[in-house]
Amino acid sequence: MLWVFLSRLYPDFVPSPSATIAFLVSEGVGKLLYNTVLTLSRSMAGFLLGLAGAVGLGYLYTLHPLLREAVKALNVVLQSISVLIWIIVFLMLFGIYSPLPPILVSTAVSLPIMLSSIVAGLESSTRRLIELAAVLGAPRWRVYPDFLLPSLVPSLAGAARAALGAALRISVVAEAMGASGGIGYMIENYYSLAEPVGVFAWGLLLVALMVTLDQLVLARLEGWAKSWATLPQR
Amino acid sequence: MGDAAPAVEARCVSKSYGGKRVLDCVTITAARGELVAIVGPNGAGKSTLLRILAGLEPPDSGRVRVERPVGLVFQENLLLPWRSLKDNIALGLRYHHVPRHEAERRVLEAARLLGIAEYLDRRPGEVSGGTARKAAVARMLVLKPAVLLLDEPLAGLDAGSRRSLLKALRGVADAGRAVVLVDHSLGDVASVADRVYVLTPGPGRVGAVLELRGLPLGERGRLVAEALLRLAS
Repeated sequence: MLWVFLSRLYPDFVPSPSATIAFLVSEGVGKLLYNTVLTLSRSMAGFLLGLAGAVGLGYLYTLHPLLREAVKALNVVLQSISVLIWIIVFLMLFGIYSPLPPILVSTAVSLPIMLSSIVAGLESSTRRLIELAAVLGAPRWRVYPDFLLPSLVPSLAGAARAALGAALRISVVAEAMGASGGIGYMIENYYSLAEPVGVFAWGLLLVALMVTLDQLVLARLEGWAKSWATLPQR
Repeated sequence: MGDAAPAVEARCVSKSYGGKRVLDCVTITAARGELVAIVGPNGAGKSTLLRILAGLEPPDSGRVRVERPVGLVFQENLLLPWRSLKDNIALGLRYHHVPRHEAERRVLEAARLLGIAEYLDRRPGEVSGGTARKAAVARMLVLKPAVLLLDEPLAGLDAGSRRSLLKALRGVADAGRAVVLVDHSLGDVASVADRVYVLTPGPGRVGAVLELRGLPLGERGRLVAEALLRLAS
């Protein structure tokens, strides 16, 4: 309703919903698919790198008290760095035509979210599992992969939902600032051509993509993870 | 007590947390083949004593000697929900490098002893509390412990499951292991235990020792009633 109202109030800047959808259809399936897959794959790659980094740092956390303090300190530092700084740094390092900045920015956004979830999980409810591992004779290096990490899967799934959403949003921004393809690139391209309908059309596609991904994939994944590995509360 | 040297021996064990004494010079023993129960109200230090016997915590004073290996069944079972009962039971065997066929044999043997063989492929969330508790016991039994410690194994179970688990634990003790369990009340455990240590409210001291080995059920009941009256007075 608001969109229709604004499109009537500012017809030169805000296209109507029907005009936006018509433009999107006119872009053609191939173009839509190519740029959507490009953005999704960049976000997913960045997210997976962030997840792998967080899991690895979680492992270090469990090995030695000094490493635990180092990981906690790193977590605080990562939380405090603005994503805008990461975008600028990666663009300066790799240039605007490199495919790396959108991926690495997604990593920089995902890593702190996933790491916070792992650190919080390890700090809160792991003593009994560590004792169980000791009673069963598990060597120290097996405690994290066999006991602690699987028990964190439910909370990690919730964090992954937030992290992947953030990665997708921010990779689009990085694409808009410098990339050769992707939803963010298309939005920036139509902005440069002063075609608001193109900006709205690709923006609408992004919103639809995020809602679909969240509701049809991530929400179900989170529900499954909770039923898979939730330990009974004492 | 049996003729063999005690597999579990705690002499005048004391423990405090933050200046508050939880255990005050507690002495208990258990030999192989014996089922020993430690009962007492909340705050009597039962679980603390069990953790000290398991080596998870050191005593402040006193002497503890426990034959190894030791199995400890936690009150909350701590079965890993992402593994089947079979995988949960076999988990410790991986760390002891037991060959796969031998591990499968031990898992099946323990599961049959405890009457849970038909549930091995299920996840912990798919079985009753009694079956989950028995799986937690089986997980320790496959490691062939000399001493089996159980923290309130009867908590949260219905009457049938309690009877069935106690019968299975009696079998474990008769097979030559020392079984030490802690519980809130005398009623259930007195029917199968060889000896019961009754701890007083915190700080926990041994208020009474009931030698029940070989006694008929009626006689056990009489001794329990007498002990309760003595403690109450």
